[in-house]
Amino acid sequence: MKSQRALTSWAASLRTQATQLGQIAMLVCVGAVRARRPKGELLRQLYQVGNRSLLFVLVTLGFTGMVLVFQSCLQLSRVTGDLSQVGGEFIKYLVHEFGPSLTAMMLATRVGAGIAAEIGSMVVTEQVDALRMCGVEPVEYLLVPRFLATLAMTLLLAVFGVLSAVMMGAFTAHQTFHVPYSVFLDLSKVKLPDVLTGCIKALSYGAAIPIVSGFCGLRTHGGSEGVGWATTRAVVSSSFAVIVLDFLISALALLSWQSM
Amino acid sequence: MIALDGIRKLHLDPVQPPVFDGISLRIAEGETCGLCGPGASGKSLLLKIICGLVRPEHGTVEVAGRDLGLASPDELRSIQSRIGYLFQNNALFDSMTVQENVAFPLRQRLRLGQEALDEQQILARVSESLRGVGLATHAAKMPSQLSGGQRKRVALARAVVARPPLLIYDEPTAGLDPVTTAKIYDLLGTEQKLTKSTTLIVSSDIDALRRFSDRMLMVYRGRLCYDGPSADMDESASPVVRQFVRGELEGPL
Amino acid sequence: MTRALLTLGMVVLSLCREVGGMALLGFYTFVNLLRGRFDAKELVRNLYKMGVVSVPIVSLTALFTGGTMVIQSGIFVQRFQAYGLLGWGTGYAVLREVGPILIGLMFSGRVGANNAADLGSMVVTEQVDGLRALAIEPIPYLIVPRVLAMMLAMFCLLVLGDAVAIGGGMLFGKLLLGVDYASFYASFVDAIKLWDVTVGLLKGTFFALMIALTSCHYGLSVKGGAVGVGQSVNDAVVAAALLIMVSDDIWTMVLR
Repeated sequence: MKSQRALTSWAASLRTQATQLGQIAMLVCVGAVRARRPKGELLRQLYQVGNRSLLFVLVTLGFTGMVLVFQSCLQLSRVTGDLSQVGGEFIKYLVHEFGPSLTAMMLATRVGAGIAAEIGSMVVTEQVDALRMCGVEPVEYLLVPRFLATLAMTLLLAVFGVLSAVMMGAFTAHQTFHVPYSVFLDLSKVKLPDVLTGCIKALSYGAAIPIVSGFCGLRTHGGSEGVGWATTRAVVSSSFAVIVLDFLISALALLSWQSM
Repeated sequence: MIALDGIRKLHLDPVQPPVFDGISLRIAEGETCGLCGPGASGKSLLLKIICGLVRPEHGTVEVAGRDLGLASPDELRSIQSRIGYLFQNNALFDSMTVQENVAFPLRQRLRLGQEALDEQQILARVSESLRGVGLATHAAKMPSQLSGGQRKRVALARAVVARPPLLIYDEPTAGLDPVTTAKIYDLLGTEQKLTKSTTLIVSSDIDALRRFSDRMLMVYRGRLCYDGPSADMDESASPVVRQFVRGELEGPL
Repeated sequence: MTRALLTLGMVVLSLCREVGGMALLGFYTFVNLLRGRFDAKELVRNLYKMGVVSVPIVSLTALFTGGTMVIQSGIFVQRFQAYGLLGWGTGYAVLREVGPILIGLMFSGRVGANNAADLGSMVVTEQVDGLRALAIEPIPYLIVPRVLAMMLAMFCLLVLGDAVAIGGGMLFGKLLLGVDYASFYASFVDAIKLWDVTVGLLKGTFFALMIALTSCHYGLSVKGGAVGVGQSVNDAVVAAALLIMVSDDIWTMVLR
């Protein structure tokens, strides 16, 4: 009986949350089309999201590139010993899978947490209410510039991330396994579907991260502890959104590739 | 100006009794009302319900003859932009200078088409407003560079700059020293004489509040337990009100 | 020019402060742990708060990770018609690399961020000073149980996550690629050694140590109210992600 009531209330809260998330997503999309943004804010957000995550993405993706190349060279040298294919396959995988997904995982922590912390502290210090009292819709005013900035920057940073990973991977292959750069940097395996899948992934992540973390930030209540909670929830939810989207888009890509 | 009918608002924790259990009140145009009550009695929440920031579960809220529960989002926004609100924590926008903070309501009203001002007139209004609170020289500073009393005064300037017909002050003097408190009440009085706007103030400083306002309201356990002239509060029939006003230890509170 | 040098100097100094702070915290934790000075009740409480509560999110992450890895290996497998390799590819990727990293990142978001927020609001509301005033040392009482709990919880969650991911791989391999369970299982058991599992678990537990140290350090150095707490949580997860990625590389080079 008690567990049944807990389950019903859980389901009800899940439903209200889903509705709110949907409303926020709608408002953001409408606001993004209706170009009525505060001047300079978009530029500031582009800087916040882009420049301030660049080094983070370059370092993490660079190290990932090293690990992936190291692992695959090690395995292949045990099985066949032919390392000429590693570079091409690695770049292909990077473009349609690891590049966008890992960049987005990094951005989910870096940007998602940032958005939730910023909006959460504005909620706690009543600045969001102050916006409403000036006749401003907070979702439109706060979230739309962040949404557009993250959308653009996820794609751009994924490109940088892929470049960094390829460079570090080529370096590792050259140093540890003596694969020449000209053999490793083989772009012939990257086909249009790969690039397309990568771009679709990056754009979906870029849309999901700000909406999910903005939703978490706007739901903040109760002092400094509330802001911490909201930030935590934003990181978890937006990382999880990335993982689920990755799975769904990969599955769709696989199925449509099969049918072609 | 304001009409509340049968407001009922549940506590976040369903085990607790409701925060408001049937509050009805009317505030006429041009009135100065003080709202008091013991801690955590929901004074700020009542202000937010009046502004449409929080929706009650039951009851209707009417501001300037419009039912907030039935208003569309756009209508609600236009009603809210005609209310000047001084927040408990000031709620100054951290990313804007003092001048931009004060100009913000005017710029938004311009955008909503409620005000026909050009940039020059906006700046003139802003500096006039800042001069009124004695901070004309601080226009270019960021809110974080100001002291607590100065921030309060900037927030006050922002609340009144658009000359709204309804002014709501949530704890205008909390955490300020006596001299600054007197200064703030002086400013509120000047503003009230100037604009003749309806004013609603929440404060824990009950003596200053009674001196300032014509009519007092007190909330206790989800109901209005006093609604009448400030002067008659000492002689109220309710022991709760008497104890609260006199600050006695013995009593029902 | 001087300005640029000044900025550079400030960046380097703050980096030294953070790294040094974390190293010191790790050292004190280790010393207190060796002397057996920590609060056992806090440990149990934190194990529940960090471990049990993270089970759903870690399982879901693992399920989808297994699925994604199957899809990625599947592209290869279909091209070469090498259905017998699916279990090996998925298992190797999940157990050694992707599993520990993704579960580590989720753990950092769920537990590390939460921990930083928790400690941060304790600092902001002066509860840590309150502990000192009661002659309770913060490190044995607050930090050691948390670090220990995170490492233990991560180890157990990884075991669970590995199992779920492999199960998810089998499921989605059947659903999407039509590889039956028996052949997936056979190639998995054939090619995966105990060493691969051990490496993954070791790495993951080390990531948990990194997450614990960053989150405790940033949590304890919160300054300035609600804004400070948000900022600290943000810094903690970023630092943890960076350390996970960098230390993963070092581990891979060391443990072949």
